[in-house]
Amino acid sequence: MRLSNYFRNSLSRQVILLISACFIFGLLGTALLFFLQQNLNHQYIENRKVLVEKRKTINAIYDEYNAVFLDIRGYVALNNQQLMERARGKEKGIRALISELERDSVTISDISNFREMVEFSDYYFGDVLPNMITNYENGNHTEILDIANTETTMKVERFLKDTKAISSALDNQLAKNVVELSKNQSNLQLIFIGFIVLFLLFVQYIIRMIFRNIGKPLIDFSFAANEIAAGREAIIHVDPKRKDELGTLSVAFQKMVESIQEKEQGLVAQNEELIAQQDELHAQQHELEATLESLRSHEQKLSRRNELIHSISSTLNKKEVLQSVVQNMCKLIGADRGIIKLVEEDAYAAFGLTQKGIDRFIRFMDIGLVQRLFETKQAFTLKREQEIAEKGYHENINYCYDLYLPVLSSLDKVEAIMVFSRYGHNFSDKDLSEYEALARQIAISLETIRMYEETESNRNLNQDILNAVQEGIQLIDQDGKTIQVNQRLNTIFNQKTLINGWIGLTWTQWSSLMAEQIEGDKFLVDLKKVIESAVNAEDEQSFVYCKKDTKQIIKVYAKTIYHGDDTLRTMLVHRDITKEYEVDQMKSEFVSTVSHELRTPLASVLGFTELLLNKELKPERKMKYLQTIYNEANRLTLLINDFLDVQRMESGKQTYEKKYVDLYPIIETAIEHQKVNTTLHHFALKSDIHQSIVFGDKSKLEQVFTNLLSNSIKYSPNGGNITVRISENLESVFIEIEDEGLGIPNDAIPHLFQKFYRVDNSDHRRIGGTGLGLAIVEEIVKASGGKILVESVYGKGSVFKLEFPRVITRELTKQAEGISSDLNYNIIVIEDDLSLAELLKLELLDSGFHVSYFSSGSQAFEQMKTAVPDAIVLDILLEEDEMDGWSIMKELKGNERFQHIPIFVSTALDEKELGYSLGAQEYLVKPYQPSQLSKVIMHTLLSNGKQGQILVPE
Amino acid sequence: MKRILLAEDEAVLRMLIVDTLEDEDFIVDEAADGQEALDYLKMEKYDLVILDYMMPVYTGLELIEKIKAGETLGHSKILMLSAKSQAYEQERILLAGADYFMEKPFSPLKLLEKIEEIVNEA
Repeated sequence: MRLSNYFRNSLSRQVILLISACFIFGLLGTALLFFLQQNLNHQYIENRKVLVEKRKTINAIYDEYNAVFLDIRGYVALNNQQLMERARGKEKGIRALISELERDSVTISDISNFREMVEFSDYYFGDVLPNMITNYENGNHTEILDIANTETTMKVERFLKDTKAISSALDNQLAKNVVELSKNQSNLQLIFIGFIVLFLLFVQYIIRMIFRNIGKPLIDFSFAANEIAAGREAIIHVDPKRKDELGTLSVAFQKMVESIQEKEQGLVAQNEELIAQQDELHAQQHELEATLESLRSHEQKLSRRNELIHSISSTLNKKEVLQSVVQNMCKLIGADRGIIKLVEEDAYAAFGLTQKGIDRFIRFMDIGLVQRLFETKQAFTLKREQEIAEKGYHENINYCYDLYLPVLSSLDKVEAIMVFSRYGHNFSDKDLSEYEALARQIAISLETIRMYEETESNRNLNQDILNAVQEGIQLIDQDGKTIQVNQRLNTIFNQKTLINGWIGLTWTQWSSLMAEQIEGDKFLVDLKKVIESAVNAEDEQSFVYCKKDTKQIIKVYAKTIYHGDDTLRTMLVHRDITKEYEVDQMKSEFVSTVSHELRTPLASVLGFTELLLNKELKPERKMKYLQTIYNEANRLTLLINDFLDVQRMESGKQTYEKKYVDLYPIIETAIEHQKVNTTLHHFALKSDIHQSIVFGDKSKLEQVFTNLLSNSIKYSPNGGNITVRISENLESVFIEIEDEGLGIPNDAIPHLFQKFYRVDNSDHRRIGGTGLGLAIVEEIVKASGGKILVESVYGKGSVFKLEFPRVITRELTKQAEGISSDLNYNIIVIEDDLSLAELLKLELLDSGFHVSYFSSGSQAFEQMKTAVPDAIVLDILLEEDEMDGWSIMKELKGNERFQHIPIFVSTALDEKELGYSLGAQEYLVKPYQPSQLSKVIMHTLLSNGKQGQILVPE
Repeated sequence: MKRILLAEDEAVLRMLIVDTLEDEDFIVDEAADGQEALDYLKMEKYDLVILDYMMPVYTGLELIEKIKAGETLGHSKILMLSAKSQAYEQERILLAGADYFMEKPFSPLKLLEKIEEIVNEA
């Protein structure tokens, strides 16, 4: 069983088995045949041997008998006893041969032969021979002859004959044996051929077996596989009990077929589904094709629109966008010319139009056809005949179609209007609605630009505001990185780069950049503290640092800003408090100075008064005390006046009554007044000129020179020369006041004109003062349009140099030596309010003009026949006259003789525009300061001045 | 006769104090600034030194320091006159070593009273 399994499980083993069987079968057959052959040969040889032996024996017997006969004959004939003995001796041998023959007797004939021989032997040796011998011996020769002639000789002859016959029978037997052998051998050959045939049959059987067991199933498999591949069903006819490879293969194949079939079923199901879907898709495709068709037409529109949008959205420059809009729209519409104009702004762009045409279009926009757009807010077209210019060389009547298109904002407001002209083709309603849609796009684009401009301007404004802020501002994020700074911060830290250079600097970078420029080493610690307190929303803290180079005092505070949800930003503000700090310093110094300065005279006044009240004093002592009290009280008054002046200056309440004043007498008087206060000093006034007209407040200018001269005295306690020089050039008047006093240290000079500033020096400290004098001087000089500076050599003295703008009168340029306050301008005032006319006349006279006034235009014209005035002051509402101001102005401007005369309108009517449009030089609305009138007239006349060298102070 | 040094840069005030004191037979040396006062102090011993606070060359405070530092003869009583009336300034002056303080403007008679009191005490 195991063995059969062993073969059943493997095809190769089966094949080997079959081939082995074949081999064994062949081997066995061959062996059998060989054995048969051998056997046949052997039998033949044995038979032959026996026959040969038999023949030999018989021949021997025959020969022996012949010899015996011969011997007996000799014996009988010759009576030789020997021969008879030899013959008798041969009996034994013959007997042995016969028994040998008996031994070999097999067949009946053999036996009969044997018996015949034995009988003969017995007869011959038993009867005949002894009878003969006895007869012979007895000499009975007759008897011998009888014996010889009778039966005995016949018998012997027969015997010899028989023996001869037996011998030849044996020869025949031998020959017969050879024939039999060859016959057997040919039989054997036949058997061999039969065996081979059998063997071949067996081999064929084996092959058939193999084919049946292996080939057939394989062919089945291939056929089945082909069937399956072709999609037909196939069954494998293999014994399911087979356990060899084919069995396994069949099982596997079966499984494969099953799985394929299963899958196929699945696929078939899917396929069906797909077919269903495909059908559906087909339906959809049809639908889509229909949609596509409609989309295509949309697409064309859209692509045109896209082109437009693309071109207008590629820039944020309004001018470019408008240009692009008008060009693209023309292209899109196929228009030959067109324009777009913003409604609220002057911006426009045109294509194919002349500037003249554009200007005309814009001018009449409010009243032209365009107005319809504002009302209907819808596009419309206009068909008209081509104008000659448009026709070119065409003879026939051609038409031009104008398209008026509003650009509506999202709020349906007309943002801009567009007009396009197209020759030859009208616009369809569909076209119009498409263009309106495009106009919407343009509106969006314009809105974007506006928004961008707004954002940009807001951004710029913000940065400008930041930059304009006097504090240095720095915005940092949570990590301390700089996000934004303003210009001022840049200036504080002398950064030459742009403010953008700060952006992105890390805490370490910027803080060390700052720390390097700051005195002391507390900066970083203070900075951190301030930021921390800001981040923790504690009370505002600040600290102060001092710049190394500029010695600026900067106060820093921090504020946190919540930007968005939770991003924490910190704003650091660097405020330059140098001024405040200095002012503070000075103020506190001032407090002590003022208290000192005020208390000292007060102490004197109170002290001496007390002595006067409580003591018996001699009259001269009383006088001395009273004089002292008076002086000290005066000093107090001056001090208080100074304080008040400064206070007024600070609050801007100081008023100046400016006139044209001559400095020369002012300086002269000031020197005279100061001379009496000192005996140590010598005054000198050096001047080439004796008149220097400037525009300023006389009493204030007196104060300037009084202060400067008294300072000269005060700060040259040891006396010396005080020299005043006056000179002028075409533009300015120069005054120098020089002393030989203590001089001013160089480092004090820049601060000299600051209020409350006192030179901090022992020499100066001896000299009392509030630190206000020079501040007041500078203020007045500046208010008079002049400037002041100081040069000094410490220990040698100082020079204060003043410069005022010079007012040159025509008189002065005409006659260098002439001294007159007249400006030599003739002015006519036309004013029906006589009191006002008088006031104006006085004012103008005061300013050095020649003035005449008239209550009506006609009177004025009468006068002007003889003398053309340099300027006319004109009231508009003239009740007594048939001509009002407007008609007088028109008359004047229409007259060649008068039209160059500047007209200064002075009226209660606020119609400036009309006035200026009619040619007024200035238009003053009553009430106004009369000095203003002289000022503007002076300004105009001098700047129109024929000499052109007049400087008029503001 | 008591000897007093008066250091005051304002001539009128010097006159006021000197007149008042001389009427009472004090001997008064007048100094117009810090340097002059120091020169006097180096030469003479005074029963009392009257110092103005604000003076050229050396201020009253600087002079006190010099007196305390022993640059002068002996230890005189010091009366400081000052227009600085604020409490902290007075305190500073007293801390610096002035014995007495009188605010400007002052009553010459009260000053006299005070001086007599100081001088007699000594």
